[in-house]
Amino acid sequence: MNTEMQHCPYTVMNIPGNTAVTSGTDVSVFERQQARMKWQQQQQQQESLFKGNDHQFRGLVEVKPDPGLQYGWPDFSDGCQGQGIPSLMEDHNLKKRKTHEDQKQKVVLKENSVKEKKIKGCSEENSAETSSKEKPKAVEGPKQEYIHVRARRGQATDSHSLAERVRREKISERMKYLQDLVPGCNKITGKAGMLDEIINYVQSLQKQVEFLSMKLATLQPRLDFDIDSLIMKEMFEVPAVAYSAEVANSAYFQVNSLLEMGNNPIDAMLRRSIGGPVSIPETFVVSSCFNQMQPGVTWDGDLHNLYRMEIQQDSSTIPFQPHKFTGLYEVSNLKMEL
Amino acid sequence: MYTSSMLKKEFLNKWIKGLQICCSSKNKMDLMERKKKIKLSADIAMASANKTATSWSNALISEAKKNKQDTILVSQLLGSKSPLKLQKSTNMIISIHKRVQCKKILKRSCFNAGKRMMKKKKKNLGISRSNFATTIAKRLVKKRTKVLKRLVPGGESMDEVSLIKEAMDYILSLKVQVDVMRSVVAAAEVLIDDKLLKLVE
Repeated sequence: MNTEMQHCPYTVMNIPGNTAVTSGTDVSVFERQQARMKWQQQQQQQESLFKGNDHQFRGLVEVKPDPGLQYGWPDFSDGCQGQGIPSLMEDHNLKKRKTHEDQKQKVVLKENSVKEKKIKGCSEENSAETSSKEKPKAVEGPKQEYIHVRARRGQATDSHSLAERVRREKISERMKYLQDLVPGCNKITGKAGMLDEIINYVQSLQKQVEFLSMKLATLQPRLDFDIDSLIMKEMFEVPAVAYSAEVANSAYFQVNSLLEMGNNPIDAMLRRSIGGPVSIPETFVVSSCFNQMQPGVTWDGDLHNLYRMEIQQDSSTIPFQPHKFTGLYEVSNLKMEL
Repeated sequence: MYTSSMLKKEFLNKWIKGLQICCSSKNKMDLMERKKKIKLSADIAMASANKTATSWSNALISEAKKNKQDTILVSQLLGSKSPLKLQKSTNMIISIHKRVQCKKILKRSCFNAGKRMMKKKKKNLGISRSNFATTIAKRLVKKRTKVLKRLVPGGESMDEVSLIKEAMDYILSLKVQVDVMRSVVAAAEVLIDDKLLKLVE
């Protein structure tokens, strides 16, 4: 056993990895031992496989899968055996064997994806190499002929192909998340199409950022810089304003936001700033001395309301700090005195 | 989970800080310069608003730092974040990137040599349809991953798996950035309309 391990360098990692992985799963101790035995047998067979002899391949096929390992997958292992062996044995033509292997690979791939998801995610915490070797090996104990088929398919070693499979599945998993992110991707299934959509979306977002910054740059000279500082102060008071507005005008606000956010955010902002709890801008309108400050305050009010609209849309809770509400009044009083 | 509204708030705060800083400079800037500064402050605000240090954010910040004109703005904006940490990460990224590039050059040369052999073989064997389709699909995927690598900042030195994760993160923050910027611009427009109206009155 030790000599075998020395021959295949990657096996040294596998044994500790095996225990690490299988300990995390629901596999019983007995099944773990079975898996290890199976795996050792596989090692022997893999060595012979590297020599690439046909008669040895036949010999491998004769090894029976351990029934103890077939927890939950008895059906297709038997079925696959039935299909696999005769077809492989018969076709000695290189082309035909490749296509068969291809089909079987696909079948086993699908099944494997189901199985590998059953194996817990702790395998992902381990290094990708060890887990990738272990996960499929523990799974594919019952179906040894498939392992050999895959290895023969022109991929250098088992470890590589298995690692690749794991990698591919990770990628497809993340593609699914991306489908949720990128709008309009529900119908596209292929990797290439998904990537195309992602690229288009990222490009469009980046262009939007550029366009918006350009727009703001054109507006910038006409804005006073005081307003920036005002905004900064006001932004820290956002929760207070939200609280006050909500307390005073919740129904009106909600209706407004629902109806108008899509169509006319600016109108909505204006309406909200005029009506409602923020009576400060009204008082400012009355006092004519501070023309410059007024738009600042209304703008801040609008911005707050905008913020609130966004927050409401996201339906997240804001920490309300009612004591800050008085702070807002103080700030506005300061402005008046200025 | 860092909700998007919290991210928006943080981003807005940092962006306004950055705008203040760059607008406080007394020299008059023309339109393009202003736009660049706005965009830069927005990008850096976005990158630093992420509490988890993602690779693309580091790459953005490091790129901005390379530009000597903007380092002041960047350092002021970042403030508490230790420049050492960023320096280390950027150095690491650069070294990894170089290593990856060398490996890629080697791979490419071997692959091209192998390709020529394969072509000869294929002509002899005949190409089966399924193989043909898969090779085309693979080529497409490779092309598009290359494009995506160029788009996502810092994506050059990443393998496919992490590239997709970074792209997801980047898309999320881009969305946040666009939303906030759009609302700020809208508010600014309202403000200016108000001002004009009052002037007229």
